[in-house]
Amino acid sequence: MKGVVFTEFLDMVENKFGYDMVDTLLDSNELPSGGVYTAVGTYQHSEMVQLVTTLSQESKLDVPTLLKTYGKHLFTRFKAGYPAFINAANNAFDFLESIEHYIHVEVRKLYPDAELPSFETSRPQEGTLEMIYKSERKMADFAEGLIEGTLDHFQMTGVILRENVKSDGTVVRFTIQKEG
Amino acid sequence: MTELEILKRKIERERRARKQAEAILEQKALELFHANQELQTLNEGLEVTIAERTKALQESEHRYRQMIETASDMIYRLDSEGLITYCNPVASYLLGFSTKQLIGRHFATLIEPSYREKVISFYVKQMQDQQASTYFEVPLVDQLGDIVWVGQNVQLIVKDGETRQINALTRDITERRLAEQELSTTKLRLTSLIKNLQAGILVENEHHQVVLVNEQLCQLFGVKKEANELIGSSILTGNLPDRNLFLDPGSYEQLLLRLQRERQIDTQNELVLTDGRILSLDYIPIFAEEQYLGHLWKYEDITSQRIAEEKLRWSEEKYRGIIENMELGLLEVDNDGMILQAYDRFCEMTGYLPEELVGKYASEVLLSEENRGVVDQQNRDRQKGIAGSYEIPLLRKDGSLFWALLSGAPIFDERGQVVGSLGIHYDVTPQKQLEKDLKEAKYRAEAAQEAEKQFLANMSHEMRTPLNAIIGMTHLLSETSTSDDQDEYISLLKSSANILHALITDILDFSKIQAGEIAVQKKSFDLLGTLEMTKRTFDVRLENKDVDMVLEVDEQIDYIVNGDELLLTQVLNNLIGNAAKFTEQGSITLDVQQRERMGNSVLLDFKVIDTGIGIPPNKLDLIFQNFKQVSADIKVKYGGTGLGLAITRKIVELQGGTIKVESEHGKGSVFSFCLPYDLAGSRDAEQKTDAIDTPLQLDADKEVLVVEDNFMNQKYVSTLFKKWNVRYTIANNGREGVQLAQQKAYDLILMDIQMPVMDGYQATEAIRNTENLNQQTPIVALTASGIIANKERGMALGMNDYLTKPFKPDLMHKVLQTYLSNPNKHKDLAMEQQANFTFDPALDFDYLLEMYEMDLEYAYEMFDLFVHHSAKEFPQIGTLMQKQEREAAKKLSHKLKPSFPMVGLPALGQKMAALEQSLALEDNFAQAQKLYAEAVEMWKKYEPIIQKDYQRLQKVVSPNGTTA
Repeated sequence: MKGVVFTEFLDMVENKFGYDMVDTLLDSNELPSGGVYTAVGTYQHSEMVQLVTTLSQESKLDVPTLLKTYGKHLFTRFKAGYPAFINAANNAFDFLESIEHYIHVEVRKLYPDAELPSFETSRPQEGTLEMIYKSERKMADFAEGLIEGTLDHFQMTGVILRENVKSDGTVVRFTIQKEG
Repeated sequence: MTELEILKRKIERERRARKQAEAILEQKALELFHANQELQTLNEGLEVTIAERTKALQESEHRYRQMIETASDMIYRLDSEGLITYCNPVASYLLGFSTKQLIGRHFATLIEPSYREKVISFYVKQMQDQQASTYFEVPLVDQLGDIVWVGQNVQLIVKDGETRQINALTRDITERRLAEQELSTTKLRLTSLIKNLQAGILVENEHHQVVLVNEQLCQLFGVKKEANELIGSSILTGNLPDRNLFLDPGSYEQLLLRLQRERQIDTQNELVLTDGRILSLDYIPIFAEEQYLGHLWKYEDITSQRIAEEKLRWSEEKYRGIIENMELGLLEVDNDGMILQAYDRFCEMTGYLPEELVGKYASEVLLSEENRGVVDQQNRDRQKGIAGSYEIPLLRKDGSLFWALLSGAPIFDERGQVVGSLGIHYDVTPQKQLEKDLKEAKYRAEAAQEAEKQFLANMSHEMRTPLNAIIGMTHLLSETSTSDDQDEYISLLKSSANILHALITDILDFSKIQAGEIAVQKKSFDLLGTLEMTKRTFDVRLENKDVDMVLEVDEQIDYIVNGDELLLTQVLNNLIGNAAKFTEQGSITLDVQQRERMGNSVLLDFKVIDTGIGIPPNKLDLIFQNFKQVSADIKVKYGGTGLGLAITRKIVELQGGTIKVESEHGKGSVFSFCLPYDLAGSRDAEQKTDAIDTPLQLDADKEVLVVEDNFMNQKYVSTLFKKWNVRYTIANNGREGVQLAQQKAYDLILMDIQMPVMDGYQATEAIRNTENLNQQTPIVALTASGIIANKERGMALGMNDYLTKPFKPDLMHKVLQTYLSNPNKHKDLAMEQQANFTFDPALDFDYLLEMYEMDLEYAYEMFDLFVHHSAKEFPQIGTLMQKQEREAAKKLSHKLKPSFPMVGLPALGQKMAALEQSLALEDNFAQAQKLYAEAVEMWKKYEPIIQKDYQRLQKVVSPNGTTA
């Protein structure tokens, strides 16, 4: 997992809970990286799981909520860091559709070792976008946060329906219905 | 935990993170540097490489495209669904669909429907088995609906385990398929042909293995196996056919070896088997290009053919031998008349050697110029397949001629075409000579006969003239005052003269009969009346004898018959006269019975029974022969020529009857004859002639001159005339008649023909040809002769009619009625009838009018003559021409020539004139035949018209059907 995910996560924890919480998370866990993260580095996915789990215990907030919140936060960070990607799209659906074949393609060019989920999209009818999330990391909550961030950014109101295609959470269908 | 500690840890984490990041960045920078280095190098060659690559790519693409576009095979691509996504121009060329029409089309729609399922399942299987490449032959249907057979290589393009597309390379194999089919049909045909041939066939390949053999071969050589079982077996080890079946196995073996060594077609071999059969053996080597592939043996049983040929040859020789020995010369010529073969006998006849004749034209060597036409005609007949025989003079080598009877027959080839002819010649020179002699003899005999006839006619005429004078003078003498002695002498003189007269008449009649100059004239007459008249005549003649004349007639005979009254009268007069001559006492009975009546015909038996001296049995056969009499005594005692009965028999036979005699010597004779008659009506209808007893309605000043020497006739006529109140004057002979005619005009002259001093002909001639009061008066002949010639002669001299003696009163009545009754009335009636009469339009009316000026009686006479003579003589021209009697035919044509115009057929008269002319020329016979045929054709058309008008004329001219 790219270091930027860890650094942004720790930044968000520091903003919401203070550096004490960051220090707690890093100290209370046996982390292979030793709790040192840089945005350009690459770290094990399990470390993120440890950090989120610990944060949930410390903050009394459940993991999905945390991940969704983090997804929404990360979108704002991406917007600041890579505005060209986001501005290339006219609306939320266009953007979401471009993730799989555009953004991820570009990401792989920069980080050939990056492990990305896949997003298959389709528009079964006017005003509806369907996204199939596939990833062994089972981080659909995180993806949902990102989607919400997207809708907010493009100022689109809509309902996000979510159902597990596979019960272990590795394949999840998001159905986004535009409102108004 | 203190804040400071936390801060320290934070700083420491930040520092380590920075270091970590720096290390990563440095590594990345290095990677970047190397990448940059590489990039720089790359960049330098990039343009060149790109240019090169681009060029190579273009070339490659061009090459492929060209290859595909110009490929002779059809190339197409299908997507995984089977829809065509690409096809090259060959596809449209092959199937007739445009590329546009093909793209997007499902391949299956191109497959011939009955094969579709099979083809699809083949390719489905290919896809299931993931076979990379297959070959399959498929019938496609082109735009016109025709079948195009293709063989296609199909490649599957598979990606991710799925068939993405299908590439096919397809070749038109229609021709190959057709050739294969043709080949298989040909093979089947040949095989069945060989199997069904009526000959044993054995085909070997170059390795001496049996390739083909038929059942006939097995049967021919008694092979126990089925023909198919032999295929593949080796001929060398199989001993097929068995050498031991042949009469000479050694030479058979040699023959087989020689044939196989030479490898030439050989169909000249005959083999004899031990069982006597004869086989023909044909050897046919089989080559493909130059390569020897085996050979075919053909064995055929020709035993019966050989036997038949042998028989035929033997038979031919036999007949040729027979003909050669029969003195018949045989000559064979082709269609052009060129001699193909001259047989020995023919060469002997002509004096040539065979080699001098063969190859020459028969007509040039053997015929004189004038005979070539005859043979040419015959040869034309031969070529039409007609055989014929004719006589012709042939030239010998030494130039002499001999007559040959030549029988020519066409020679046919096996297809029935005439290829020449065979002439069989027989030397008929002696026969020809004989024939010539006979012809001459016949001509002389005929001439002699003609001379004799002429002599008889002349003689009787010459004799009659002085005899008439004797008879006439005797009459005159008897009327002078004579002593008793003189009376007796005169009486003797009279009877002798009469006998002499009768004799001469007989002889004349006989010669006329012999010459066929007496014709049967059929007219209706009252039979009973005739019989009664005859009886009456003999009543008078027998007045001085103790003999009764009896007439017995069958009651059934109450009819008018159609026949020749004159001839019957002559027969009865002869027979009764004969009876009277030989009967001194008793009776002469004329008995007439109807033997049979069939419809409109009757057969009547006439018997003349006398009680005279009779005839000895051994003389019965003689009496009807010419110039024969029963005995010399008879001749002395009774006189006569011995012709009477011969004439009688002839006359009976002429009328279609027969005559016979039965007799008992000393007791009498019965002459009986039988005659057929056609019925013409009942006698009642004719009974109106009873009116003869009433006086005629005549003008008081009418007077008839009767020129008649016979006292009996004078008496008879005068009795009738008195009864009818007719004034008359009798002249006793012609001269008296002429003298009277010069003194006074009469209304009618009745003229006897045979008279002393001057006969009726001479008298008529004198009256018609000199200026006198009776030049135009009708003259009616009274004649006892039924001879046509007499009648004609009388008419020619200017007589108007004639009456045959002895005549019945009614006939005389009729004559008087005709010539004495009111002429105006008579004329009116005639005018009326004649005005209504018109000739058939087919006849030349103008000509008839000119001829007859509507004198229909004259016309009738001419038609009558024509119908009874000229019309009957006309076909004789043909008969004469057939007999090659040109001169006679010419004469007859000349004779008949003027007759046709007389009945309104001048065109036919001209035809006859032309015929006469062409017959006058010797070598114009064909022309004459043509003219005669044309004349016959014309006559056929006119004959019924002439007959019809003749009958119509008859009705108008003599409505009662009777003319004198």
